[in-house]
Amino acid sequence: MSTHFLYIEALKKVYPSSNNTPNSPVFEDIHFHIEKGEFVCIIGHSGCGKTTILNVVAGLEEASAGYVLMDGREIKGPSLDRGVVFQSHALMPWMSVLGNVAFAVRSKWPAWTKSQVVAHCTQYLEMVGLGDAVLKKPAELSGGMKQRVGIARAFAIQPKMLLLDEPFGALDALTRGTIQDELRKIVQATHQTIFMITHDVDEAILLADKIVLMSNGPHAKIAEIVEVTMARNRIRAEIHHDPQYYRIRNHLVDFLVNRSKSYAGAESGAAHDPKNPPVVRPGLEGDNNPVLQPPTENSVPPLKQVVNQ
Amino acid sequence: MKRSETIKAALISLLLFCLAIGAWHLATLPKESLAISGADVEYAALMGAGAQKASGFPPPAEVGKAFIRYLSDPFYDNGPNDKGIAIQLGHSLLRVGLGFILAILVAIPLGFVIGMSPLLMKALDPFIQVLKPISPLAWMPLALYTLKDSNVSGIFVIFICSVWPMLINTAFGVASVRRDWLNVARTLEVSPLRKAFLVILPAAAPTILTGMRISMGIAWLVIVAAEMLVGGTGIGYFVWNEWNNLALPNVIFAITMIGVVGMGLDALFGRLQKLVTYRE
Amino acid sequence: MDTSRKWLAPVSRARSRRLNRSMLLGNSVPQGVAHLLLKMFVNQLNGSPVMSLHDPFDSNMSLSRCSCGNHGSQAEHDVALVPGDVEGLNRRVVQGAVMRALFPDDIERRRFLSVVGASTAWAAISSLVPFGALEAMAQEKGSLEKKSLKIGFIPITCASPLIMADPLGFYKKQGLDVTVIKTAGWALIRDKVINKEYDASHMLAPMPISISMGVGSNAMPVNVATIQNVNGQAITLHVKHKDKRDPKQWKGFKFAVPFEYSMHNFLLRYYVAEHGLDPEKDIQIRVVPPPEMVANLRAGNLDGYLGPDPFNQRAVFDEVGFIHLLSKEIWDGHPCCSFGVPTQFIKENPNTFAALYRAVLTAAAMANDPKNRSIMAEVLSPANYLNQPKTVLEQVLTGKFADGLGGVQNVPDRAGFDPFPWYSMAVWILTQMKRWGYIKGEVKYRDIAEQVYLVTDARKRMSELGMAVPAESYKKFKVMGKEFDPAKPDAYVASFAIRRS
Repeated sequence: MSTHFLYIEALKKVYPSSNNTPNSPVFEDIHFHIEKGEFVCIIGHSGCGKTTILNVVAGLEEASAGYVLMDGREIKGPSLDRGVVFQSHALMPWMSVLGNVAFAVRSKWPAWTKSQVVAHCTQYLEMVGLGDAVLKKPAELSGGMKQRVGIARAFAIQPKMLLLDEPFGALDALTRGTIQDELRKIVQATHQTIFMITHDVDEAILLADKIVLMSNGPHAKIAEIVEVTMARNRIRAEIHHDPQYYRIRNHLVDFLVNRSKSYAGAESGAAHDPKNPPVVRPGLEGDNNPVLQPPTENSVPPLKQVVNQ
Repeated sequence: MKRSETIKAALISLLLFCLAIGAWHLATLPKESLAISGADVEYAALMGAGAQKASGFPPPAEVGKAFIRYLSDPFYDNGPNDKGIAIQLGHSLLRVGLGFILAILVAIPLGFVIGMSPLLMKALDPFIQVLKPISPLAWMPLALYTLKDSNVSGIFVIFICSVWPMLINTAFGVASVRRDWLNVARTLEVSPLRKAFLVILPAAAPTILTGMRISMGIAWLVIVAAEMLVGGTGIGYFVWNEWNNLALPNVIFAITMIGVVGMGLDALFGRLQKLVTYRE
Repeated sequence: MDTSRKWLAPVSRARSRRLNRSMLLGNSVPQGVAHLLLKMFVNQLNGSPVMSLHDPFDSNMSLSRCSCGNHGSQAEHDVALVPGDVEGLNRRVVQGAVMRALFPDDIERRRFLSVVGASTAWAAISSLVPFGALEAMAQEKGSLEKKSLKIGFIPITCASPLIMADPLGFYKKQGLDVTVIKTAGWALIRDKVINKEYDASHMLAPMPISISMGVGSNAMPVNVATIQNVNGQAITLHVKHKDKRDPKQWKGFKFAVPFEYSMHNFLLRYYVAEHGLDPEKDIQIRVVPPPEMVANLRAGNLDGYLGPDPFNQRAVFDEVGFIHLLSKEIWDGHPCCSFGVPTQFIKENPNTFAALYRAVLTAAAMANDPKNRSIMAEVLSPANYLNQPKTVLEQVLTGKFADGLGGVQNVPDRAGFDPFPWYSMAVWILTQMKRWGYIKGEVKYRDIAEQVYLVTDARKRMSELGMAVPAESYKKFKVMGKEFDPAKPDAYVASFAIRRS
């Protein structure tokens, strides 16, 4: 049906209501796809259902309608193919750092000997810079270190795809920066396919290849997809020297502040086709003409016009 | 600093203890006995004058003697109705242990199931709520009638009183295991058994242990009453037997032993609780 | 004191033998010695590997070697010489054992026999030892179906015989391994008997009737093998009621009895009813296990109780109560407790039952002898049995007691242990159960009495042991001066003004 690695089709979620009036869907008509090796971030205001989408992809929740295909197969329930890094790190506090990672590794390779498991775990823990802390309990670690363990755990099972639910949200800016760098390095080294939720525009620009923008819920939809056109080996300390950076950043902030509401509900109108959300490259806008490539013949008016209407 | 505080606390405890004993001693000093006229000598002898009378609260020295007498030979066996304190405590602990283990075997798995299934939790809740407040001893006649064995009935009573706190705490502990941990297990495709033992059990263990600690406390309270009712052996029987004799020093001794053993059991479960408690 | 030591410690048997022999020769034989001899005899019978079967009264005969020298032992010798004469053989086994118990030294025995003459010796000894009974025992010692038995008791003096049989070794002598287990209350006794935790038990005299009839429990046939004790109960009142000796002043009193189906309940009801009080309206009667009666009296939960001893005397001893009336003043010779055995047990274990019967009857005979009462008090006093001060038990058993009002009374028959289970007792109990509505409808007094109370067995066993046995099974008696005729139970019930039926 599709050659995309991950294919999300007509996803919709309605939570059961407590009274008789049916709830309106949190989101509906969600269509997008992720290619192998792609790093995709999703941005949107709280309540637009980002986490639900991630959970559906992870298999932890079921959508009310629509489906997700990965590698051509429909996702039904969780699987070791998709590693998840949870917002709250979700480490088992009664296990050591090593134990937490080993728990995951044993689940993936039950036949492995103890030394194999330990060696594998140590490798991934060293990768996130925790080689010295393997025997510590999570309670003895700082927030950043805990989240690193979570990342190591997710990477260690070598999933086909990694799902990160706002992994750095609870960290202070300095720690966040460090871990973002580490994550970027690891991703570049492993070419891991990643789908990540974030609230942090800078983080998205630093890490992502594509940024999915969601309109506000209920009836949230994908408003547009921003391609980050900057070179892939971005360095946090230098990124703000790149002129594209501000264009993309402004575009995103503008969306979040001004436009995210207008796609919600009925007024999204005929102009916007949720099946083919517009793909924009604001980073290139200043140099050349904005490259708007609506994949269909229904040409979508430029986004700024939408705003200016 | 901390150590000196411990010492101070110990000194105050000791002082309070000495004060209490002293007050007790003063309060129970023998009263001046009235002079007995010759004609009443025989009557007085029959009334046990001169001998230690059970009427009146015993002075601490009497109780001390009881302590020495029983503790110096804790394993004596003068036939089926008179055994040393250690043997009696052993019988009680055995009953409590058996009833308690039985309760664990029922409460933990059942609590697991109830905790995992909100539906079952709702369905069973009325039963638990009705059965829980029943005094364990109220089960005794029923148990004797149906189980047809007083010893088994005693164990049953321990079982029935220990099962509720454990069941409720297990269900609660299991039900409130963090969603995240369960999700981790789900994304890792962990088998149900492995999930139960490696995720849910350790996550709920502190709550379960709290339930067990409460249960053990209740069980130890109940065994004394149960043994007073059914008799035969055990510390409760010992109290009952000495009550028959209105031998208060022995009863006070037994009460102290019950307290000490109860404290020991609680401390044991306190340690276990510490072992399974995790810091987040 | 000295005698009791001997009972308690069989180790000093040799010493006691010497002592008794001298007493025997001096013709001053205290009655208690007969039981001592009995005990020694049974020891010999069970303990000695070789039995002497030739005439033990032959002064020329040695008791430890074969008389002709051709046999390995005297037993083989005798078996070889007297085939067929089993009875004679048996008698000589018994007599030999007794003689050996009395005279462990052959030379002494010969000297004794040659001085007094064999026939005199035989007469002297048989006056002390119930040879007939002993021989019967030896004969009937068929194989025991069950040797290890559990017998329940409530720690009251009523249980004395079946308790005493334990330290005195009466059970052991019958080849039984009996554990007597102290029990917290009558309801528990009932349940443990029904649950077969106890093979037999100390029971209140009405309990086997009520259990057999299924009144107040599931029906399970239980028999009364013997009456445990007669008299021995009392009405105890709280000391604050010292001035209320007239039952008419007792309106609103709270009384305790040990069990619904107890003589205590029936006697208390009878007593107050005779004084014009309705026991169900004018006073309150509660069930309190005997051991808890004193504590409740002290706590003020009770104004008094008709309870078993030693708890009446104990209340006096503790200065919380006084003895208002001994139960013998209501009905002299009333039964109190019985030795209850489930019918099924008797059917399945006839030999064990017979052995148990003998042990309990022997104990009853011992307990009924006033001479033994002081010793009994000492034996029963420790925690394993009644767990009471010795002086309290002594007052109960000897009948010389402080009444709690400042007086010392002397009533030797305060407590008795006559084991004979009169049918008429059962009929009286049934009339009271009928009177107070515990049983309804037509009551087949005689059928029930004769089914539950084992008069025939008791008569047989008692005569085997050489005890005096009454010829009849029913007798008239007086309760508070009013005659009871067991032949006219219905008329008796109808004759009461206060009743529930």
